[in-house]
Amino acid sequence: MTRPELAAAERGRRAWAVIVALAGALAGAVALSVTTGPVPVSFREVAEAFRHAFAAEPWPSAAARVVLDLRLPRALLGALVGGALSSSGVAFQALLRNPLADPYILGVSGGAAVGALVAVLLLPAGASLPLPLCAFLGAALAAAGVFVLARRRTGVSRERLILMGVIVGAFLNALIMMMVALSPPGKIPGAIYWLMGDLSLGTLGRVGLLVPYVAAGTGVLFLLSRGMDLLLLGDEAAFQTGLPVERVKTAVYLTASLLAGSVVAVSGLISFVGLIVPHGARVLVGSGHRRLLPAAFLLGGTFLVAADVLARTVSTSGELPVGAVTALCGAPFFLYLLRRDRGKP
Amino acid sequence: MACGLALSLSGTAAAAAGVSARDDRGVEIRLAQPPARIVSLAPNLTEIVFLLGRQDRLVGVTRFCNYPSEASRLPKVGGVVDPDVERIVAARPDLVLCTTDGNPKERIKVLEELGIPCFAASPQDLAAVFRAIETVGALLGVPDRGRREAASLRARAARIAGRADNKPAPRVLFAVSTSPVIAAGKGTFMDELIRTAGGVNAASSYSGRYPRLSVEDLIAAAPDVIFIASMAGVERFPPEVTRWTEVPAFRDGAVVTLDGDLVTRPGPRLVAALEEVSRALAGWRARGAPGRGTAAAGATRRRP
Repeated sequence: MTRPELAAAERGRRAWAVIVALAGALAGAVALSVTTGPVPVSFREVAEAFRHAFAAEPWPSAAARVVLDLRLPRALLGALVGGALSSSGVAFQALLRNPLADPYILGVSGGAAVGALVAVLLLPAGASLPLPLCAFLGAALAAAGVFVLARRRTGVSRERLILMGVIVGAFLNALIMMMVALSPPGKIPGAIYWLMGDLSLGTLGRVGLLVPYVAAGTGVLFLLSRGMDLLLLGDEAAFQTGLPVERVKTAVYLTASLLAGSVVAVSGLISFVGLIVPHGARVLVGSGHRRLLPAAFLLGGTFLVAADVLARTVSTSGELPVGAVTALCGAPFFLYLLRRDRGKP
Repeated sequence: MACGLALSLSGTAAAAAGVSARDDRGVEIRLAQPPARIVSLAPNLTEIVFLLGRQDRLVGVTRFCNYPSEASRLPKVGGVVDPDVERIVAARPDLVLCTTDGNPKERIKVLEELGIPCFAASPQDLAAVFRAIETVGALLGVPDRGRREAASLRARAARIAGRADNKPAPRVLFAVSTSPVIAAGKGTFMDELIRTAGGVNAASSYSGRYPRLSVEDLIAAAPDVIFIASMAGVERFPPEVTRWTEVPAFRDGAVVTLDGDLVTRPGPRLVAALEEVSRALAGWRARGAPGRGTAAAGATRRRP
């Protein structure tokens, strides 16, 4: 092997070591999450709970139920949501060749929010299931709308995607403000908290429902990782390499949008994760998407689970919105990570 | 605490007699005669005017003034946080009743600069509500009616407090929102209602006035009785919250829905709310205080 090849192999080995370490960090964050909370549960009781988890009998104790039926689904939901948003963010940044892109930039957030508000404000109270469904439909419709509007016979240009995304987003934002302004005051908190991001809807059933979506979405993105590497070169150059550019762009866009839409439907609009975690992951493993995607998924999951532990426990005046904690704690951490890396491109 | 509703003067309700009272800002309001055209800028103050039998003098109320039902038919001059100064002036009031913790100061100042006397009342607890009824009664030229109504409300509240003496105290939670669960903490009227009726506020360990509780917080708080202060018609907890029968109130079905207006307005109907709370607590005691003994989580819970 030549020297550059050797160096590349060495970088690759180091990156995979980082990914294994990140997997360990995610497991640690989940462990921290299931052992922390306002109901006092000892480590022994947590271990006990997990031993009983596989026995098909009713909950051995209230503590066991809190650990397995409340904290564990919430931690798993945090891992899925954080991971999916980060993967989606990686894809959008590659697709748009823009470091400021995130899963919400092209209307997914506005569409999901309108869907959720329709569920909260217009549908009868007590029906909690329709919210995720409405939010997902809203996100999917908005994403599809932006795509159709941006499309021309020659394909989809980045500039038109961003422009249409901004216009559709502004329109949906206006709808959101109208709905909030015209709705009765008692209905507002539910909608506002959802807009700020909320993992409290995590139940084992919902986590189970989400797993196939996240697995399929991240799996397809992983298969597209070489395509995303080439997209970063620009459409012309990517085309020269023989990449079916338009088809790859369409696939990346639809997959990343639906992936974001499916997790947003359950968790609300958790901000910051999908924007910054991809940059943090790039610092750790470089910008090749085969390594970047798994690293971003694990880092995003770890980050969101840890932020949720803080949101649940740190305040003496109840639970904080996790979407605010992510930016509050994440901004300084990622600033440090990114500034440390100033030397590299 | 705004408790200095020191009322001065006001002898009899003779038509020519001047009236005066000091309001919660410490401003002395003097009128040559009892007001003939009153604008009320808060639902609780509108309710007090009706209680004093002076509703025929009301020429403007907010769009939130819906009790008693005749109040909704009065001319509207905007909302509590957005009163319409021009409409108020057009109603030619000789007294505006306002509040310091809802109405914007600047707009009240504009009204005063236009020569309209503004009386501000912002009672922060039951006792202050009773005093406000007396003070407003004096200002409206019906001091005897004010004293009578206040005394009757005081007696009803005292009866409730007496009923709870030396009885087991349930842990009580007031939910002002069910999804997410937002509770009424210390410093709210609901907290005072719980304590007066002989309960313990299950959310009193939180520092904010309206803490948001996760399901796990709710399990740790272990309320025996939960009240929903409904703001938008009938409200229920979502099923993923009520399935937690570790919470005594969910296990025993001790969830009571109250009209949110009753408990959030510092007006005469707070006493009616107190009676409803007391009834629900008596029901809990009649069931043999079921939460006790099993609600160990409540006794040993901790907050970080």
